Amino acid sequence: MKSSRLDRKRRTLWSQSGPSPRLIFGAAIIAIVGVLGMTPKELFGLTLAWPFAALWGAIGWGRAGLSLRPMILLVIFGLMQDIISNAPLGCFALINLLVYGLSAGIADQTDGMRDALVAVVGPAVLLIVAFLLIWGFASITSDHLVRSWPLFTNFFMTGLIYSFANQMFDLGRRPGESPGGS
Amino acid sequence: MARSGRSSQKSGARRVTLGILIFGALALIVAQSAPQISNFFLPARTTVSDRIGAPADTSLWAQLTGQADREQRIRELENEVRDLARYKAAAISMAERMEAYENILNLMGEPPERGVTARITTVVDGPFAQTVLANAGSLQGVVPGAVAMNEGGLVGRVIQLGDRSSRILLISNYQSQLPVLGEVSGVRAILQGKDRDRGVLRDLPEAADFIEGERILSSGEGGAFPRGLVVGTVTKQGADWIVKLAMRDHASGYVRMIAPPEIVEPLPEPEITEPVSPAPASSTSQGAQ
Repeated sequence: MKSSRLDRKRRTLWSQSGPSPRLIFGAAIIAIVGVLGMTPKELFGLTLAWPFAALWGAIGWGRAGLSLRPMILLVIFGLMQDIISNAPLGCFALINLLVYGLSAGIADQTDGMRDALVAVVGPAVLLIVAFLLIWGFASITSDHLVRSWPLFTNFFMTGLIYSFANQMFDLGRRPGESPGGS
Repeated sequence: MARSGRSSQKSGARRVTLGILIFGALALIVAQSAPQISNFFLPARTTVSDRIGAPADTSLWAQLTGQADREQRIRELENEVRDLARYKAAAISMAERMEAYENILNLMGEPPERGVTARITTVVDGPFAQTVLANAGSLQGVVPGAVAMNEGGLVGRVIQLGDRSSRILLISNYQSQLPVLGEVSGVRAILQGKDRDRGVLRDLPEAADFIEGERILSSGEGGAFPRGLVVGTVTKQGADWIVKLAMRDHASGYVRMIAPPEIVEPLPEPEITEPVSPAPASSTSQGAQ
């Protein structure tokens, strides 16, 4: 009796939802954060560091393995980021896809290892890779070494929020895949 | 067995898709190193900026009830009041002095600079470029290369112009180079963006120096910016002269865009044609005739 009540408590709406609703929910979060990021971001005269929201999707969705729908979403988000930030078209799309691929690779290599070390080190490594890629692309395309500190604060914020909100970008299984199937 | 085979086939296909997408994105980036291809994407960028910066669509309900028209009229009046308030303040402080100067110099007064006031809808402070997007474009009378100012001073210039939006490259951007001069010292230099709030002065003259705390104005050299626009105040930090940008002190979320100064090209010199001397052979034949 007690255990069934506990089970009911554990079976939340999120835990019962499949990968497609989770993907849509995560994409909506990314879109909302991205749109808010276009507005002036100051609080009491202090400039707020805004996260690269698409990277949450790239890291989180990649953990469920490779799939076509997240890739398309990441390309769309990447192109929007390129246009908004005046970067060469394809820059953020490439970075999002690379992080997504690496995330899937890490998940594949550490299959079943859901321990704290993998959960922390994996996203940290991916964020460092993304940081270096964005910094490198920005430096190459603008012919000078761009300032790394503001970019670092953005990435710190990305990682900090992801550490709390990673469940929102956990698809559970690959989109289109049946439960327990391949 | 067959099921696991299909699974590995699917997995392989996904990897190939990811590889193709990554390769495609990389090819797109590399291709844009050619200005022709980069310019090809410019209309698409401008169209998206138009959509982001100034969505033209209003809801059907707002149109039916006339709310959209009322809001539009309120915005116009607000802009007008803002303009008038600025002109009033400027006029009170300057009219008397101006009249005296004009009398001394026997000059005709110049008409006030016409411009377009727009709201900043998007701020991009990323690693690639420091730009802002304003919700006025060519339809509102903004011209390519227009100079943007706010209440504090110079903000930047329009680098991308859409129908209803303008992308302004800020003077704080690293690649922004602005010829400036000290208001008191008159020393000239080039202001280069350093970070969000500051710029650094380059190409300093060896003989003269700025005065700590003096205002820095645009010098108008190069013709991209008019002369005399307030840029900021200068302080010495180590060996560098650092300018604290005035545009950050009065960021109300609006910019005013004025046409860049027009430099009239000098008229080409008339070509002087030398009289053609007759050939000796023909002259002898003429003489014989």
